[in-house]
Amino acid sequence: MVALYQRTVLEKSKIVTEEQEQRKQPSNQRKISKEAMEYAIDPKRSYWPFALAIALFITLLGVIVHPVIFWIGVALIAAAIIGWGLERR
Amino acid sequence: MATRTITEGISVARRRRFSETYIGEWLMTTDHKKLGIMYIVTAFFFFLVGGVDALLIRTQLAVPNGKVLTPEIYDQIFTMHGTTMIFLFVMPMLTGFGNYVVPLMIGARDMAFPRMNAFGYWVVLFGGLFLTSSFLFGAAPNAGWFSYAPLTELNAGCGTSGVVTCTPGLNMDFWALGILMLGISSIASALNFVVTILRLRAPGMTVNRMPLFTWMTLITNFLLLFAIPSVTAASILLLLDRHLGTHFFQAGFGGDPLLWQHLFWSFGHPEVYILILPAFGMISEILPVFSRKPIFGYTFIAWSGVAIGFLSFTVWAHHMFAVGLPLVAQAFFATSTTLIAIPTAVKIFNWVATVTGGKISFRPAMLFALGFVAMFLMAVVPFDYQVTDTYFVVSHLHYVLFGGTVFGVFAGIYYWFPKMTGKLLNDRLGQLQFWLMLIGVNLTFFPMHILGILGMPRRIYTYPGNLGWNELNLLATIGAFIIAAAILVFLWNFVITLRSGQPSGPDPWDAFTLEWDTDSPPKPYNFPVIPIVRSRRPFYDKKNPEIADWKTATH
Repeated sequence: MVALYQRTVLEKSKIVTEEQEQRKQPSNQRKISKEAMEYAIDPKRSYWPFALAIALFITLLGVIVHPVIFWIGVALIAAAIIGWGLERR
Repeated sequence: MATRTITEGISVARRRRFSETYIGEWLMTTDHKKLGIMYIVTAFFFFLVGGVDALLIRTQLAVPNGKVLTPEIYDQIFTMHGTTMIFLFVMPMLTGFGNYVVPLMIGARDMAFPRMNAFGYWVVLFGGLFLTSSFLFGAAPNAGWFSYAPLTELNAGCGTSGVVTCTPGLNMDFWALGILMLGISSIASALNFVVTILRLRAPGMTVNRMPLFTWMTLITNFLLLFAIPSVTAASILLLLDRHLGTHFFQAGFGGDPLLWQHLFWSFGHPEVYILILPAFGMISEILPVFSRKPIFGYTFIAWSGVAIGFLSFTVWAHHMFAVGLPLVAQAFFATSTTLIAIPTAVKIFNWVATVTGGKISFRPAMLFALGFVAMFLMAVVPFDYQVTDTYFVVSHLHYVLFGGTVFGVFAGIYYWFPKMTGKLLNDRLGQLQFWLMLIGVNLTFFPMHILGILGMPRRIYTYPGNLGWNELNLLATIGAFIIAAAILVFLWNFVITLRSGQPSGPDPWDAFTLEWDTDSPPKPYNFPVIPIVRSRRPFYDKKNPEIADWKTATH
């Protein structure tokens, strides 16, 4: 029982230490400006999801309206997939 | 070659990129919070569209022998009402809340696949526009939101003789292609949620410590992954039948007319839980906060959600009891339908136990949450075979989806609106909206139970005046307009709050979960430092370190 209690206390203190260490980390990296850090973890923007969705829309509209529109849509889908794949993030 | 020296003190003006303009920012965003708001706004727009459809239906049925709409337009309106509300309002709305809230709740900086997330949203928007644009072509879908084949076959061949006229024109093509598109979006967002929740939780947030809204979102998205392929396959088979001469659903050519119903309802019944489980999750977050107690029976609520998820795939044929299934199949599906009531009841008992003895604060979010529990109970009135295809079923469905999901959605809006905008919606207007909605819902849908028992079939265009249905139909129509008034009150509240609402601060409800440990609205990266979780109420622990849950609880 005593051993179990000691082990639990030891583990809890270890967690607290790790937590403190982790919280200390940003203060060690103050050389990086806040703006730079925010930029690094900000979500990056991209045209391609919008482009791919609109290409899909045109393709399906082509099924209803005219085959030419359908094939334009297919070409746009291919272009959007390639653009998406090649985009640097 | 010219050289240029820029001396200190001279500022270099640069033309803003398109992505840095206001419109560009929203068009190109991959931020889960912006996408969440876009989903919610889009879904609300389609809620208004579907609502106008509903008012048209009710106006047509207000008095006997109504002539407000033509029969053809009526068919299109009731089909688009169901399709819009299910695929373009409830599903995107719940995805929007999940998008906004789940990464914040689990301590993540974004969804696992941000670009796929954006893609999912844009496909929903264009899918919605695609379906709605069918009105411009005079060819809106017109065979009900379930689009039963062989009725939806093209222009001949839906009967055994091959000469019966079915659904000519582009109407059902719009439906099948639109559903295909929305299915692509659902699969993309479902994959994203599953990976995000399984892989991006903050350190220490074990599965057993996940907020219940996150739990329900996880289960819902697993359901989507397994349910959507069924309706997608059915839509493709229908398109093949209509345009390439196959006969999957035509008995006269060796096809099976019941195949559509099996495929559709094996999607359609899990779909009911897809539409309600996230609302269960919202309620499970809101009730404890406004009762100032931890949720009662966390483990039971979480795992009953899992049980509902599994069982939801075993009950689809209770939509088909009247088609002549073998007795063994009827017995199986009747039993599984009874079984699924057990985990649902478990949740309801736990919610009641959570509220019991709590210091309840009747803010609008709590009112809607309590309204949800009450209205959802009205939806479990057991009655089936005799009332198949009557207004009783319409009533039951709307108690689930309006009394349940829509009340849950408004509870969620009142609860998380301050996080999204930094402003508090007006309480008095919120309470007015709640009472109007509660009265409106019961006035609209309760009489439909009786209409169903009196034999009024669903989907009928009009009815003669000598069947005893007149007063009940008029009551239902008055109720629908009261609901519309409630929605107008909400819109007014929304506008005045955005203009001059009271600032909320980061944690207006003294809440328990991590999303409230951020600014309102949160920074794009959510958390400067990823928090460490040690119990089910991490933000409560942070605010109350001396009585933190992790010091006393074993989870």
